[in-house]
Amino acid sequence: MTVRNRHGSVWKKVVASSLLLFLVAATGVLFLDAYRAAPASNPEARTEKRYIVDNAKRETGAENLVTSIYLGYRAFDTLGETIVLLMAVAGVVRLASAGSGVRKKP
Amino acid sequence: MELSPILIVILTLTGIWGTIACRNLIKKVIGLGIVNSGVVMLFVYVGSRSGSHAPILIGQTAGLDASQIVDPLPQALMLTAIVVGVALTSLALVLAYGIHATYGTLDIREAERRAKEQLEPEEPAQ
Amino acid sequence: MRKTDILDVMSRKLAPFVMLFGFYLVANGHLSPGGGFQGGVVIASAVILLLLAQEAGSVTTSFPLTALSVAESAALFVFISVGIVGLLAAGAFLSVFLPLGSGTTVLDSGFIFVLNLVIGVKVGAGITLICFHILEAH
Repeated sequence: MTVRNRHGSVWKKVVASSLLLFLVAATGVLFLDAYRAAPASNPEARTEKRYIVDNAKRETGAENLVTSIYLGYRAFDTLGETIVLLMAVAGVVRLASAGSGVRKKP
Repeated sequence: MELSPILIVILTLTGIWGTIACRNLIKKVIGLGIVNSGVVMLFVYVGSRSGSHAPILIGQTAGLDASQIVDPLPQALMLTAIVVGVALTSLALVLAYGIHATYGTLDIREAERRAKEQLEPEEPAQ
Repeated sequence: MRKTDILDVMSRKLAPFVMLFGFYLVANGHLSPGGGFQGGVVIASAVILLLLAQEAGSVTTSFPLTALSVAESAALFVFISVGIVGLLAAGAFLSVFLPLGSGTTVLDSGFIFVLNLVIGVKVGAGITLICFHILEAH
């Protein structure tokens, strides 16, 4: 079906698109300004990195420091993530085989 | 400031704009994927500014100091974020397919119009 | 998708190597870049390569849907039971309880190797199931 281009609808579309573009650009400019004002290096990050470098092999047994974080110090988050994957698979299996459950009017 | 944060923010904002402004459902899902990738890239970039080696201490790199390696914590958090993004994209695609199977269209305004028409069918003019 | 000879032969020759690479990524997750999630997705991509290039009947004979579902749920169950054993043995859920050596072999790495394996199986089976059902190959 074709939409008949009435008199005011082109202007409405232009105003809506430019408003959206302005809001998105303003968000970007504000975020970049906050990013520029942040300090270049975080002293707490140095403490945390030093602790992980010194103690990860001894406490968790992994030389890969990223593995020692997400399977050693923070394994509970990984458990939650596997549950999220299980829920996604359950949702996809049900929706793909039985439809999205929207009922038509009888 | 450097070029990389500006480009990553432009990418993320393109994803947000695409999610809002596009009428096709698949393009909205693609926009969500772009936002996910942009946020992951931003976190990993900010974490990579504090060093120059990968955070793996084995063999030749066994004696690296804490000031030479990249921060490993944002990378571990972004692993979870990527998997959640995969789950979200798969569910959104299956829902989009369900909408197409029910209403015959992927355009969101057209599907809304047909859904309203099914709930309250237009009465013929008297 | 129309079956062609080149895709048929190449997919059958390449898929075992892709799966072997996936298992390598899972097994060496604590020593090199890789791990459970990355290796699991590579394992799933080997099965999806077979699914896209072969007809659906032969792939579901080799990787039946019920086996994938059972593998995924059993992997989550093993993860939780490893955590509960950690709770009983050392006082905190999912704490490191096997004795850690100082080398890099499997026995020296505690139970991170077991966790990597379990996560690799779970992610591989889950993503394969998602793609089977989206491509409607059952």
